[in-house]
Order: sequence, then structure tokens, then C-alpha cells
Amino acid sequence: MNRPPATDDEPPPLFRSWPRLYAAVAAWLFLLILLFHLFTVTFRA
Amino acid sequence: MRTLDWLVLGGSLVFIVLYGLYKGRGSGTISSYLLANKSMPWWAMGLSIMATQASAITFIGTTGQSYVDGMRFVQFYFGLPLALIVVAAIAAPAFHRSGVYTAYEYLEKRFDAKTRTAASLVFLVQRGLGVGLALYAPAVVLSVILGWGERWTVVIMGALVILYTVAGGIQAVTWTDVQQMAIMFAGIAAALAGAVWMLPRDISFLDGLYLAGASGKLNAVDLSFDWKNRYNLWSGLIGGLFLQLSYFGCDQSQVQRYLTAKSIAHSRISLMFNAVLKVPMQFAILLTGAMVFVFFLFERPPLLFNRAEAAPAAATADYREADARFSQAFEERRAAAAALARSRGPAALDTYRAAQKRLEAERTAAVELARRASGRDYNDTNYIFLTFVTRYLPAGVVGLILAAIFAAAMSTISAELNSLATSTVIDLYRRLLRRDAQDRHYVFVSRLATAFWGVYAMSFAFFGHRLGSLIEAVNMVGSLFYGSMLGVFVLAFGFPRADGNGACLGLVAGLAAVWWTSRNTGISFLWYNVIGCLVVVAVGALLGGRRAATSR
Repeated sequence: MNRPPATDDEPPPLFRSWPRLYAAVAAWLFLLILLFHLFTVTFRA
Repeated sequence: MRTLDWLVLGGSLVFIVLYGLYKGRGSGTISSYLLANKSMPWWAMGLSIMATQASAITFIGTTGQSYVDGMRFVQFYFGLPLALIVVAAIAAPAFHRSGVYTAYEYLEKRFDAKTRTAASLVFLVQRGLGVGLALYAPAVVLSVILGWGERWTVVIMGALVILYTVAGGIQAVTWTDVQQMAIMFAGIAAALAGAVWMLPRDISFLDGLYLAGASGKLNAVDLSFDWKNRYNLWSGLIGGLFLQLSYFGCDQSQVQRYLTAKSIAHSRISLMFNAVLKVPMQFAILLTGAMVFVFFLFERPPLLFNRAEAAPAAATADYREADARFSQAFEERRAAAAALARSRGPAALDTYRAAQKRLEAERTAAVELARRASGRDYNDTNYIFLTFVTRYLPAGVVGLILAAIFAAAMSTISAELNSLATSTVIDLYRRLLRRDAQDRHYVFVSRLATAFWGVYAMSFAFFGHRLGSLIEAVNMVGSLFYGSMLGVFVLAFGFPRADGNGACLGLVAGLAAVWWTSRNTGISFLWYNVIGCLVVVAVGALLGGRRAATSR
């Protein structure tokens, strides 16, 4: 019934550290919001 | 539904069920039945997380909502990537390292047994409601398309999902989620392409976007702040962050997905995979709804989309007159839309908007007739997309989109049944009733619990027709509980002095605060998550701090 707890913590692929990957994902979100805002403004008649 | 559609839909369903049964073989221990022996790769978990969240409601309700209300619903998802970052950084490693089966088991390690039991009971109530709604949505589909009774559809759908979920446990659930997500991606692409393809020849995609924008349907971002405005940038980023934190960090149906990972790194990558893809996917689904709206600028839509609910009114002379006036208003709007697409001038825009207003007034009058005739609320948001799909798209594509809707429903329901059974067995049965049974006994009880929740979900789904727009109903039900649940986990992770008594009292106070807010204020439901969480943290931290001071 008891399983050994996970202890490993590998680095992420493509990025040097997890905080850098998180920063990239947050930047992606804000880029999307900016693009959606431009989309809204462009097609608002 | 043509033969090819039946082949595509039937083939997909049979394949999913057989594949689930095949992949779920050998789930003979509790670790493999509930956690897949922690063997899942990140991409399978990532797709499974996405499939679990994307229910049939996502297809049916979101596209309809975009048709009626525009694309502003996409803002609801803006908090999701931020929430997933927090979950990947804090919650996923903590759960993994503590070796738990459920998120609530972690609460006992951190606080005490009563906090764990209280949290798991809140989850069971809340997710029990959700799984019933998730099962009801495809029943709406078939009742419209094939004229089947909703109850028969609920029973057939429920039985298929119960079959492979009971037999194969989480391995069957996760691997079928991967297939189901692939079908969903294909369905979304086919629906969007179909909506654009079906526009008149002289209306380009850009013309379509212009017309949708002129109708207020492309309002993807609203920067204004208003507590009572359901969807704007701020409610999405802040309220959505709290809701998604709660969903991905405290809801066993999601926590269990990333607990099956080979390692903490695989868990984190699967969450980041969702953080990157989820918002664009929702945008594509909402854009499909907006394009369906443009399609119906040139093709006469039904006066009311829900034929069953409109039937009592449709027999009256008033309704026939309303239908005739609607036809006239539609012709005027079609001409105005075509003129606007050609000229894009301010005069054409004014003419179009006036025509659109007249058409909406006729529809509102018809809704009132339907409401009076049936004696209950009328809402056809969930019928719009399916009307478009079944009446206008070519053979094969209809079957594919219906398969995607079924895949979405089945992936959500199977994951929810699996997590409900896990919490029932691990947090209640094994913890409170029988602590030292053999492994195979717990596997048997888990199978029994899965079947029980499946039957419960089917019973609940029978009452689905009494709810309004399904997508909002699910999110609103979630928001009554989610924030308070999140507050308990925030106490666990971030407040070392907080104890079990404070967390439990905080949970009760949080639920009461959210309930009072929903009854007595006009504050939009996304903010309930913030209120519930803050009340729990304030009460829990205050009581924990006072006890710590007293004991010193």
C-alpha cells in the first residue's frame, strides 16, 4: 500500500532552471493578452 | 446524421472503449489502479489534464456563448497559466514528495484527520454535482439531433464510461484521454474550418471577422473594471487565478492526473504544456462561435434554437406572427450585413446595427412567448452550435464533431469518476472504516465506488434540463466551493502556525461567506473564489497565531 515518495527534481528541458521556464510561460500569457487586445481593437467597428 | 457520420461516431466510441479496456489491463494493485504506479510520461498527463478540463460543455456551451455574448469568455482563462505556474512550483512537488494518493491526504499530514475528512467531503459534494452536469451535456446533443430521450442518452453514455473506468482505473482513463484529446483537436479544427468554409462566396474570412466585430462578438479583452461584470481582464486574471489554483491545486480530479507522473519534472512539464496551449484552444473554440454567428447573418437561423422547449409556443398564432416578423427582420439584416461587408462605411454600419437590433427584439419577444407557454425559463445557448453542425456541415464532419463532443464528455466523466472513487476509498473508507485490509480488497472497493459514482452521476443528470447555460452552471457551482477549499491549502503550504482547528473553522467561515455573498450581493461569481480563499486564510491564520501565542 505504501509507495516510496518521489524525491527527484530534474531541470526542465530547453531552459536552465524552472523559474526561467515559469517566466517564459508568464511572458507567453501576456503576449497572448496583448494580441487578443489588438484583435479586439482592430475589429471593433 | 448520414451513414458516414454514424460510422465516424460509432467507430470512435467503440475504439475509445476498447482502447480503454486494453490499456487498463493489469491494474490489480491499488497503486496501479489509482496512480498508474507513477509511470506516466508528461505528454500523456498533459493531454489528460487538458481532456479532463475540456468537457462536452466546452464545445456546446462555449460556442453558443460566443454566438450570444461574444468572445469575452476567453478572459475567464487568463488566470490559468499563472495558476499552473504556482501549482507546478509549490503544490506538485509537495504532493509528490509526501507520497499521497489524494490532495486531502496531504492535509492530514499537515493538519489533522478532521481537516482531511472535511475537505474530501466538500470535494465529493462539489465534484458529484459537476460529474452529473458533465454527463447531461451530451444527452442534450442527442436529444436535439436524433430525437432520443435525454435519459436514454445519459444511461448509454454513463454505461460506456463506467465500463472502462471501473475495469482499468486511472491507466484506462489517462490513455483514453490522450485519444479523446486528439479527436477533440480534430473536432475543433473541423468546426472552425467548417464555419469559415460555409460563409457565402463573396464574404471572405476577413469580412467575417469585420462583421463579427461590428456585432460586438470579437470583444476578447475588456480592460474596464467592474465587480458585477462577469468577464473582464481583471476578473479573469485575479478571480480566474484563484478559481484555477483551486481547480488544479486542490481538486482531486486534476491532482490525481499529475500524481501519476514518473517524476516531479514530468508533472511540472505536463502542467506547463497546459499553461501554453489552453488559452489559444479556448480562443479557437470561441472564434468558431463567432464565425457561426456570421454564418447565420446570411442563412436564416431558427427563431428559437431549442425546438423542444419552444414547441408549446410554436403552436400558437402569436408565435407564427413572430416567426413571420423574424423572417422579415432577418432579410433586412442580411441585406444590411452584405452592404456593410462591401462598403464598411459609417452609414452602412448604422443601418446594420439598426437591423440587428430589430432582429434581436423579435427574438426576445419569441423567447418571452416560449417562457409564457412552457411556464419556465427558456435558454437555447447550448443548442446553437449543434444546430449549425447538424444542419449545414458535410457528411463525415458532423460525425467527427459529434465524436469530439462525446470524447470531451467521456474524458471528463471518467476522470471525475476515478477521482471521486479515489477520495471515497482513500480518504473515507480506508481512513475511517477499514485501515488494514489487503491490497486487492481496496482495488475491489475502488471499482465498486467508481460504479456507485457513475450511477449517482446518471441520476443527477436526469435533472439537468432544469439548469440554464451549462457552462456557467458548472463554473458557478464550482465557485461556491472552490475558493474556500483553496484557502485551506494556502494555510497548509504558506502558514506554518496554522493548525487543523483553524483550517476547519476557516473552511466553514469561507463557505458561509461565499454563500452569503452569492445571495446578498451582485458580485460576479469569479470573485467568490477570492472571497472564500481570503476568509479561510484570515480565520485560519488568526486562530493558528492565537493558539501559538497562548501555548508559548
